[in-house]
Amino acid sequence: MTAGVDKTSIVELHDVTVAYGRKPVLWNVDLSIDAPCLYGIIGPNGAGKSTLVKAALGLVPLSGGSVRFFGKPLDEVRGRIGYVPQRESVDWDFPVSAIDVVLMGTYHRLSWFRRPGRRERDTAMDCLDRVGLADVANRQIGGLSGGQQQRVFLARALAQEADVYFLDEPMAGVDARSQERILQVLSGLRDRGSLVVIVHHDLRTAADWFDRVALVDMRLVAAGPTAEVLSRENLTRTYSGHLELLDEIGRAMQTGRRTR
Amino acid sequence: MTAQDRLESLLSHNTLVVAGGVAAVGVAAAVVGCFGVLRRRALVGDAAAHATLPGIAAAFALTGRRELWVLLAGAAVSAIASLGALSLIRRHTRTRDDAATAIVLGVSYGAGIAAISGLVARGVAGSAGLEAFLLGSTAALTLHDSLLVAAISAVVVAVVLAGLKEATLVAFDPAFAAVAGWPVGWIDAVLVALTASMVVAALPTAGAVLVTAMVVIPPAAARQWTDRVPTMLGIAGFVGLVSSLAGVAASALVPRLATGPAVVLASAAVFLASLGARFLRTSWRPPGVSES
Repeated sequence: MTAGVDKTSIVELHDVTVAYGRKPVLWNVDLSIDAPCLYGIIGPNGAGKSTLVKAALGLVPLSGGSVRFFGKPLDEVRGRIGYVPQRESVDWDFPVSAIDVVLMGTYHRLSWFRRPGRRERDTAMDCLDRVGLADVANRQIGGLSGGQQQRVFLARALAQEADVYFLDEPMAGVDARSQERILQVLSGLRDRGSLVVIVHHDLRTAADWFDRVALVDMRLVAAGPTAEVLSRENLTRTYSGHLELLDEIGRAMQTGRRTR
Repeated sequence: MTAQDRLESLLSHNTLVVAGGVAAVGVAAAVVGCFGVLRRRALVGDAAAHATLPGIAAAFALTGRRELWVLLAGAAVSAIASLGALSLIRRHTRTRDDAATAIVLGVSYGAGIAAISGLVARGVAGSAGLEAFLLGSTAALTLHDSLLVAAISAVVVAVVLAGLKEATLVAFDPAFAAVAGWPVGWIDAVLVALTASMVVAALPTAGAVLVTAMVVIPPAAARQWTDRVPTMLGIAGFVGLVSSLAGVAASALVPRLATGPAVVLASAAVFLASLGARFLRTSWRPPGVSES
């Protein structure tokens, strides 16, 4: 995948290497995404999928390499990036309501010390409505189900009104109804021209959901259109050492064929 | 004491002056403490508090003066130094958060006690009064001292209220805040500095050992009453106000009762009552409106 001379990639990772202490987690990842789509980052547990996203977003330091968005450094384009961290990364007992959390998505448009006003509230309410949670807007977030919590996070990202969205395991521990709603919203974002990058661990659904995928196992194994990338050879290379998953790979292959 | 003596002692000019300063401190410590509790870093304030002692001893030894502002300036310097040490240990060694906090707390407290008892043992005039900073003693606060701690409290509350949006965002989801471009490290540092300021300002009230209770217990009590951050700050401030006033009153009435323990016991009573109230409210909720 090489970007054309006159065409800037939406996201371009060049030779990205990340290490925690002395332990390398990601090696020499070269990845560029050029067009709006649903993009899956797939790989086994501990493969560095989340780390890849965190590295792209500047949350973990790079040991080497570089990241550019729209041909620019991250700091110049933060306003165009939406982020949904893993659900377990926050304390759901925190004393805020669903609408409070979604309002946080509008904060970057407000200056220091300015409080969200009418316009921000309307935006936040609209985003909650899009994920089907307008009726629990004022509920403390700990009182929501896992799927609802994940949708609140998604609504907050929607309120960011970004061009690129990164979601870290948005389907983990989420009921079928929430999954469907989330997928529907994400597809809507893509159809309106946004790039949606999703860290995902479930091979079975990956073939159905994503337009393009990257297979990651500490290195980039393969990247491109889903049907091409999820080949038996690539999957075996990604999941070698994860023999217990071979069954799952078999099933994923079948699902992949069905969609084709 | 007769009843009239007690009333006079409560309403004496000195007690009222002290009460004003202590009330301001109680409110501000509780308000800024909310973010320590929400960020799950409640013990950082405790480390800073114990680390004030070497600074107090050093300020006295170097200047030979006992005015409150001199001693509190020393306290602030050593509290900040200890927080710096804490952050260095966390970042550059493999010591975990809780162990690093315990190390800094223990070492700095040990150094403080050694320094103060050294001064007392050598018979340095006035050094015995330094021991009041261990458990808190409001008896010697002057009007000037009261104004000083009240002014610190007012500034701290003003900054917290101004930055409520930013502080809440960073306390809830620092990773999201960082990606959106907020300087998470700096916002955290300001919150820690505000906490340290209140710990220092509250030293005359509660003392180095117990001051953390003024920062932690009122927020914990307030959390039982509300699911909103702004309301939590308000209730915590109120609990801080009530319990510090109760503590000062108790120590004015009971001979030789240090202020610190009295304040802690008062806020602990409010905390227990809040827990009980929450338990009653949640167990009386009708089955149809369960939260999940």
